[in-house]
Amino acid sequence: MTEAVQTAARAMRRLSARTLLRVFWRSLFLQAAWNPRGMQNLGFAFAMQPALRELYPDPAARARAAERHLEFFNCHPYLAAAIVGGAVRLEEEVARGLRDPRSVSAFKSALGPPFAALGDGFFWLALRPAAALVAAITEPYLGLWCVLIFLAIYNGVHLAARAWLFFAGYRRGEGIVAVVSRAHVPQSTGLVKGCAAVLAGAIAGRSVLIAGLPNRPWHAVLIGVLILAAVAFLPRVRLAAALYIALALGLVLGGGFL
Amino acid sequence: MLRGLRGECSWRRFNTICIPRLYNRGVNVLAPAGTTDLIGAAVVAALIGGLAAVERKGALQLMLSRPIVLAPLLGWALGDPRGGLLLGVPLELIFLGGVNLGGSLPDNETLLAAALTSAVVPAGIAAGTGVDPPLAALALALLFPLALAGRRLERATEVRNAELSDLALARTHGGDARAVRLNLRGLLLPFAATAAICFCCALISPLFAATRIHCPPRLVSGLTGAWHAVWALAAATAIRAIRDPRAMVLSAVAFAAVLGAAALLKALP
Repeated sequence: MTEAVQTAARAMRRLSARTLLRVFWRSLFLQAAWNPRGMQNLGFAFAMQPALRELYPDPAARARAAERHLEFFNCHPYLAAAIVGGAVRLEEEVARGLRDPRSVSAFKSALGPPFAALGDGFFWLALRPAAALVAAITEPYLGLWCVLIFLAIYNGVHLAARAWLFFAGYRRGEGIVAVVSRAHVPQSTGLVKGCAAVLAGAIAGRSVLIAGLPNRPWHAVLIGVLILAAVAFLPRVRLAAALYIALALGLVLGGGFL
Repeated sequence: MLRGLRGECSWRRFNTICIPRLYNRGVNVLAPAGTTDLIGAAVVAALIGGLAAVERKGALQLMLSRPIVLAPLLGWALGDPRGGLLLGVPLELIFLGGVNLGGSLPDNETLLAAALTSAVVPAGIAAGTGVDPPLAALALALLFPLALAGRRLERATEVRNAELSDLALARTHGGDARAVRLNLRGLLLPFAATAAICFCCALISPLFAATRIHCPPRLVSGLTGAWHAVWALAAATAIRAIRDPRAMVLSAVAFAAVLGAAALLKALP
């Protein structure tokens, strides 16, 4: 093959939209085989497989590329979409001979931990509690519709973020860091956590009111005291122990066994 | 009544000996179509519970496996979505702070929600009370250890997944790029284990129904109080789940505002 033909072949190695969508779909299974040794390594390699199949027609080269992606990888499963997208872009460049294969590993290991911290803080510790608390506080008024409220709030943000991060990662490659830093994730996290804290306090107040109905003010007082005690002692008492203590107290006081 | 069940261990013996005994004592603890309905409910519970276990960590993570979604969904499949919701909301709040960060494992809220709903919803229908606070409190007290057992199940799954990862690495090293498909095998163990537990929980629902029917009024009152206490704990864990320095102050203000508004509304003519 002449130099010109090789250059043309390299230039054509861009992935089809269908392949990109398949990679995105497979990235939703990133943690299917989560393990303490490689963490999301197998999931990452599984997500990359459609791209590698298209980029490396030679089975031996494809297996080498797959082996590269079986190295240790850990990130938040949603934010990892950006790294998957970026890794696809870098693999295209590796397949074209424009980049060293080790740069893909360096990209993954450099972005995994900071993106994990961002994702854990926003999705697990802010958005999910806030969405659940909105659903819990609207449950007496909306009934079963509160479940849809929860799913709409959470997945509206989650799926949009995941798709945006994947395609932004693919378009920008290593430039994804700048894109994510402009998304103001830490500021949003603080705001959402503040809203969640207000909702949690309101639910505690509502629990006291419900316990006092109908005309049982002492029940309301007892439940209020129980909430305050639980807030104070929960960090020191395991959840299972706290639950059984609460059940026993409720049983004894509610049944008049004292 | 429960004394009559002692010593019976197999499902066949349960069908042939226990259920007629329950009927003879004037207790109908099965759904209208009897054991057929019960087995059908157990199969449905197993399927939905198993899929939820897979969705919890391994696939999609659309939060369909959270108690606030799973319990009403499974309740709907078993015939009482509102009963499922009654269980799901406090469970969601209790496990609000449970986060899977890196290698740390929280209690398995999905397994507990699925098992509890599988046992309580058919029991409520059979007892004629629906899912009420006494039944919910009783079942939660008995089944809560499943949340802790779920954590062990997850640890076992991780060990199995490490073997899959090693196998995939060895095969790709040998030139088989398709070995990465072993990833999906990691979903099998959580599915199978959770499905089996939900199946068993649905099968023991007649025992919960019989117990609920025979609860004396004083115990019913006590269990209702216990459910209020569960709600109190749920509210407290929800406050604790917000890991932010301002959370305590904001929650205290909202707590006081709700009580103040209620007092004001009561004082109004």
